[in-house]
Amino acid sequence: MWNKSAEAKPSPQASVAAVPVIPEPEVTPLQTRPPSAPAAAPTPAAYTVPKADAANSLTTISAGLKINGEISGNSDLYIDGETQGKIRLANARVTVGPNGRVQADIEAREIIIEGSVQGNLKAGERVQLGAQSKVQGSVLTPRFAIEDGARLRGKVEMIRAGSQGSASAESATDSSKAKVMSASSKDE
Amino acid sequence: MSWVAKTRMNATPASGARDKPGPAAVAAPSANARVSNGLKEFLWLIGDSQQGRILDLGPVWQATVTFFIERGFRVSTEDLLRAWKEFLVSEEEDFRKAPVGNEAAKVSPAMFAEKFLDNALLYPAEHFHGVLAWDIFDYLDAQLLPRVMDRVYSMLRPGGAVLSLFHSRTPERFCRYRIADTQTFELLPASTLSVHARVFQNREILDIFGKFRSSKTFVGRDQVREGLFLK
Repeated sequence: MWNKSAEAKPSPQASVAAVPVIPEPEVTPLQTRPPSAPAAAPTPAAYTVPKADAANSLTTISAGLKINGEISGNSDLYIDGETQGKIRLANARVTVGPNGRVQADIEAREIIIEGSVQGNLKAGERVQLGAQSKVQGSVLTPRFAIEDGARLRGKVEMIRAGSQGSASAESATDSSKAKVMSASSKDE
Repeated sequence: MSWVAKTRMNATPASGARDKPGPAAVAAPSANARVSNGLKEFLWLIGDSQQGRILDLGPVWQATVTFFIERGFRVSTEDLLRAWKEFLVSEEEDFRKAPVGNEAAKVSPAMFAEKFLDNALLYPAEHFHGVLAWDIFDYLDAQLLPRVMDRVYSMLRPGGAVLSLFHSRTPERFCRYRIADTQTFELLPASTLSVHARVFQNREILDIFGKFRSSKTFVGRDQVREGLFLK
């Protein structure tokens, strides 16, 4: 593989010295944001619940509330409590607030994460990870916005808007393989 | 082990072959940017793969994700140093809570490393075309380093590449890295997640990556060595 033709190979150059004094990293501007959400990194106290889209009503799972099971429908959903199971709102927006703790796969038109999610995210339009967000799982979306400070442990795959994609199946395969690999490493 | 490019270890890139300045010489890097021959070569090596998979062992950045997504790659991120720090904090907490004299609470550094890897870097074998390791190997615990290296080797496809940085002296600040363009990455100072463990000699670097088929090192003016290792 090292023997590619010299023409195709990138030309080496003298490296430029790194500059140690560096300004704070700029926050990547996000394409869209809930109208009422603050521009700066949200804190649990400062973050405000986004307004529902004109077409959809907004359902809120408040902090202190726990829900276990499958959530589906067409209403926008704001989660600031704890949720386990599966969330499927194909034509709506799901927002996980700064206090939100979700252990579920989320499938929605638009997914905004400010809290913690353990599960795969699949969006028809876009996924946005806030500065305080913590996500463990695959992300499958046509558009993806990440604020500096967001934490993601998982895979990002882009799809065309409206397409179904194969990430769920693949990620399931991946995780099962990973378990096998983990088990085999333990055996060693 | 065949070291195809071993002779170039610790050598600056050959000069004179091209008088014409490459694109990197034209690009004007920002203050925190670093022109990287290693990155350029890394991208060239993985460029052939269709729907390639990249693993970034640093934090997730919009710039890095977008860079690879636009080129048709699938990107996975796992901030290994942060995960390691959180693991140690959690273990310390458990240790404090354990009753005095509890034998179960006494674990060796090797057991710590094993336990950490039970929940980290869990990917199928030969899954990735490239791994961006940045400078994490400089910061890893001596017990954890060889285990992480085994895991990285396992998850790389044959022909896959690892890009890693090695400091030649203890760095002044802890930095994270993100890609700016095809030959530049940015250094972003961050709160220290882990103390700099050691400065590797070139021979030690070769030993760490002993399983890999070949290696190349580029040395920058700042004496940071960029290592490119091919499975």
